Amino acid sequence: MLPLPEFTVHTPASVDEAVALLAKLGPGAMLLAGGTDLLPNMKQGLHAPAHVVSLQRLGALRGVRREGDALVIGAMTTLDAVAGSAEAKTHAAALAEAAAVVGGPQHRRMGTLGGNLCLDTRCRYYNQTAFWRGALGYCLKKDGDTCHVVEGGRKCVAAASNDTAAAAIALEATVVLTGPAGIRRLPAADFFVADGARNTARREGELLTALEVPVRAGRVSVYEKLRRRGAIDFPLLSVAVRLDREDGSARALDVVISALAAKPRRLAAAQKLGAADLATLPIDTLADAALRECNPLPNIEGDVVWRKQMVRVLVKRALGRATSLA
Amino acid sequence: MPEALVTLSLRVNGDDVRVAVRPSQTLLEVLRVGLELTGTKQGCDKGDCGACTVLLDGEPVLACLTLAVTCEGRVVQTVESLTREDPLVDAFDCHGAGQCGFCTPGMLMTAKGLLAKHGRPSRETIKQAISGNLCRCTGYGPIVEAIAAAGEGRRGKKDEEPLPAPLPSWEAPKP
Amino acid sequence: MSGLIGKAGRRGDLVQRALGSTRFTDDLHLPRMLHGKTLRCPHPHARIARVDASKALAMPGVAAVITGKDLPERFGIIPWTPDEHPLALEIARFVGDGVAAVAAADERTAAKACEAIEVVYEVLPSAVELDTAITKPEIGLGAKRQDNVSKAVDLAFGDVDAELAASEVVLEGDFHFEGTAHVPIEPHCAIAQVDAAGLLTVWSTTQVPHYLHRELSRVLRLSPARIRVIQPPLGGAFGGKSEPFGHEFTAAKLAMITGRPVKFLMTREEEFYLHRGRHPMRLSFKVGARADGTLTGIDARTQIDGGAYSSFGLVTTYYSGQLLTLPTTAKSYRFSSTRYFTNKPPCGPKRGHGSVQPRFAFEVMLDRLAERLKLDPIELRRRNAVAADSKTINGMRVTSNGNLECLAKVEAASGWKERRGKLGFGRGLGVASSAYISGTNYPIYPNEMAQSAVQLKVDRSGVVTVFNGASELGQGTDMLLATIVADELGLPLDCVRVVSADTDLCPVDLGAYSSRGTFMNGNACLAAARQVKAKLIAAVAAKLEVPEDAVFVTRGALCVKGREGDAVPVDEAIKLAEARFGALGAVGSYKTPPKLGGEYRGGTIGASPAYSFSAHVAEVQVDVETGVVDVVNVWCAHDCGKALLPTQVIGQLDGSVYMGVAEAIFEEHLISPSGLHRGPNLLDYRIPTSLDVPAIHSMIVESMDPEGPLGAKEAGEGPLHSSIPAVANAIYDAVGIRLSRLPFSPGRVLEALQQRGRG
Repeated sequence: MLPLPEFTVHTPASVDEAVALLAKLGPGAMLLAGGTDLLPNMKQGLHAPAHVVSLQRLGALRGVRREGDALVIGAMTTLDAVAGSAEAKTHAAALAEAAAVVGGPQHRRMGTLGGNLCLDTRCRYYNQTAFWRGALGYCLKKDGDTCHVVEGGRKCVAAASNDTAAAAIALEATVVLTGPAGIRRLPAADFFVADGARNTARREGELLTALEVPVRAGRVSVYEKLRRRGAIDFPLLSVAVRLDREDGSARALDVVISALAAKPRRLAAAQKLGAADLATLPIDTLADAALRECNPLPNIEGDVVWRKQMVRVLVKRALGRATSLA
Repeated sequence: MPEALVTLSLRVNGDDVRVAVRPSQTLLEVLRVGLELTGTKQGCDKGDCGACTVLLDGEPVLACLTLAVTCEGRVVQTVESLTREDPLVDAFDCHGAGQCGFCTPGMLMTAKGLLAKHGRPSRETIKQAISGNLCRCTGYGPIVEAIAAAGEGRRGKKDEEPLPAPLPSWEAPKP
Repeated sequence: MSGLIGKAGRRGDLVQRALGSTRFTDDLHLPRMLHGKTLRCPHPHARIARVDASKALAMPGVAAVITGKDLPERFGIIPWTPDEHPLALEIARFVGDGVAAVAAADERTAAKACEAIEVVYEVLPSAVELDTAITKPEIGLGAKRQDNVSKAVDLAFGDVDAELAASEVVLEGDFHFEGTAHVPIEPHCAIAQVDAAGLLTVWSTTQVPHYLHRELSRVLRLSPARIRVIQPPLGGAFGGKSEPFGHEFTAAKLAMITGRPVKFLMTREEEFYLHRGRHPMRLSFKVGARADGTLTGIDARTQIDGGAYSSFGLVTTYYSGQLLTLPTTAKSYRFSSTRYFTNKPPCGPKRGHGSVQPRFAFEVMLDRLAERLKLDPIELRRRNAVAADSKTINGMRVTSNGNLECLAKVEAASGWKERRGKLGFGRGLGVASSAYISGTNYPIYPNEMAQSAVQLKVDRSGVVTVFNGASELGQGTDMLLATIVADELGLPLDCVRVVSADTDLCPVDLGAYSSRGTFMNGNACLAAARQVKAKLIAAVAAKLEVPEDAVFVTRGALCVKGREGDAVPVDEAIKLAEARFGALGAVGSYKTPPKLGGEYRGGTIGASPAYSFSAHVAEVQVDVETGVVDVVNVWCAHDCGKALLPTQVIGQLDGSVYMGVAEAIFEEHLISPSGLHRGPNLLDYRIPTSLDVPAIHSMIVESMDPEGPLGAKEAGEGPLHSSIPAVANAIYDAVGIRLSRLPFSPGRVLEALQQRGRG
């Protein structure tokens, strides 16, 4: 058995109650949604909060609904429900596809969209037991001051390992946070920050309550994940693509690449495409550009050379699929 | 600071139970130790193998990653709720869908959850559904076949011995 | 025979296991039981300067703490190489080696107490990597501290140099295997209890209760008469539970100290430290042939990475060469294997002990030779096949041999002739074949006693209880014995009970290793059942006043030839026999024929009363963009002599293929140069899910072994061997690359494809 550290559990019945609790308990409290990330991490001694605030009873945060020209997905909606939602599959296909390939079936039934968006970054030197990390001498992200990925590194480079992050950014989604000061909305692209030690902009005392995904006519999106096994594995690389078309031709393209560093990366080459380029959509050029832009680090278990080479392949496959759907 | 015990009420295999738990105890620990339902197995205790799968409100979930206190008022079903007459269990036995049997309880609960949703799942659907349950003995083929057979309502194989009655009635011979 | 043998029936025992009736070791909770935890060394090689457990002992709930000094006796599965301590005595030899152990009220407390133990280490120079062990003998991990050698074997049969010199073709190849782990879903667990009369009982997840019994006695300095070992049914083992482990001794010692039962359950991380997985090997092969395909000579040099302790290493070193003279042989053969100690978790036997790695190398060499000689690879194997009832060049006696039939079966089933080489770039077929032992005549510790024994107790109610020392791991020995007895005596299966692996109740069986169960335990059981059968027949014959040879057993009754109306139900026959002969029972045992194997040092290793044979054809699809190899189909034909329980046999073939393909494609047991395991958990050590396995087409070949029980031989380990080279050869057929390093991960495949493109 991997015993959990001791803590007190709180089960607020409303968002307001949860926010009030967080304010009262202070930084010693952690939020528990599906538990598929937090609990294994706690069992490995990565967190030892005195208080755990379970969001289990916040039924209001469950479900996918249409509000005007946006799809509002409650943070406590399970990944399984996101993957199976007809609305999500139609209007936020990349997100539904991403949710459908998180972990294994049990993780998707337990795990939530909010939990996946807030997933702790992962690293082969971090996601290990206390004994193992102690034998290594600990690391920058937890209990130590050395980075074992980048020699002499001062900044944690643990990898964003949430499948839904790249999709949320590509889909121009908005993260909705509720805190003591009220509701705060952040573009998903700004929600993630390039710090492996703490890679979201969620502030102390805030609760991620929903993801708002704009619904646009002529929009297609896809998600591609690299992993060794057909299930259970975290991504070794992930690519989300959004393609907006109008009157039969592409107007905008977004390619987001993740699982390489702490922050998902928007492919610059895709952003720079002019109208003429968009019309032809030079898949190979973009894939080559992606290969140049991305330099994976050996931060997660898996062949780093292969992960880099696969950037080109996955971008190509994602673009090919998006084009065929449009 | 020692943890305060919490009284937890939940329905397990059709029985209403009240059990004192510590907030840091998982459902797996409470089932196996507190309620002596050792049919549910611990394979990795961190959500990587699926051996501890139980039905929580009808959904197959990992008991090792479920805090017991979050199960207040909920319905838990473990492998102890199944019987040998269950067509799924029967199919597992007939197809050799288990060898050491250690992953089998979790596998059965995953299959139960699947069959409750999809009456006759395709083999592809079955493979997807059990992809979070690691088996080290069978290579999965017989498991997929057994679940498919149970879904199709097939019992046994052609040259199958019938299931012997567990406790057949018997009369002592007259002296 | 009453018709139970050879029927593809129910698994039989799965229901109890599946529904929670079977109590696995961790399912046992004894009153007042304490929980143990082991403090482990964080350095690859260190002298333990000081251990201070006072803070741990002062913690509420902590009952006792022990260190190496409390158990100073060495142990080891091979009596010539005992080099382990239950807890490191002076020197810890790998990251994860046990240093101290705690018994406390619960696991949480025990874990916290471990953290409170203060240990001062003096870090020593270490040889984590095999190269270091070879080039820096001064590290002194060997028995005499002069080098790092664990065992060296050099054996030659025939004049290899002359044969190779006279060959038309000689090919050379280097191969590398980095090790894999067993990963049964059930972790190791042991519980120990001392009763008021002073009897120590140990329940443990062991494949070798008899050896555990012996070693407990030696290490605890306690008469074996005061120790009882019980092995509850296991949740898989695959060789990973086939020797004594430190926690079995620490549980016993802590139970003796505290007077309370103590349980140790390993975490998944600790499983990877206990390890005993397949040895990393570097193999260099030279194989020669004549133009007609006759194999002339094999010259094999192998470096073996043994990890921190000897384990079965002496035997592993022999097995890395001894089994390559079957089923395909050359006119001469030489192998030179050296096992080195390194500061890593110890390696040991995993399904196909020592012989899987060289089989990979050799079968790939055969594929290359076939290509060079423009011969079909199956034909090349046929031309060099060892015959039935013959002797191999290294002196192994071969009796039944279904090798050619195995090859024919996979050839036909896979559409080999029509499809190979014609599936287009990216898809391909590959073949390999192998042979394996059905137990060995080497009993680990030299003795003249039986290697397996079974005792039958016959009850008037018509129930027969089989007491046997063999270990049920999930492979089905209990069902096998029940079926043999039921079949011989005409009883329904549910009237035969099997009590296994309890040293107080059951006669000695050496354990579940070397694929010895069906052959040895089955023969012992058959011998016992036939004694009881003879008594039933005699009693019925006397009662009906007919000659004994007129009486025969059918399902449920004993009948008289030509007088079908006179059937006597089996339970009646039992009463008749008990009245005539007194209480009914029988003991059967098995011992290998005395002179098996060659007349040379090590000649007994690899010598078996019977060999199983396997052939595989694998079909792969290679994604040339990603390098991902999808093993689509594997056809596996296996000669198990006679399939006594076909459902179980097919299960063993399926499981072996699954495990072999996993080792070919996914699994790699990696230790960092620092000595730290690369990821001791099931996320980083990836075993296949239901979405990662081939369609497996298992086929049984029956050669009816003359000495096997009812003709049977092994099926549990042999069919793993050729699955790996079959995949390797299929990849070559698909995309023209020869991969010499396992596993064939996408990065390696892609790199090889890119090199091929450049070259």
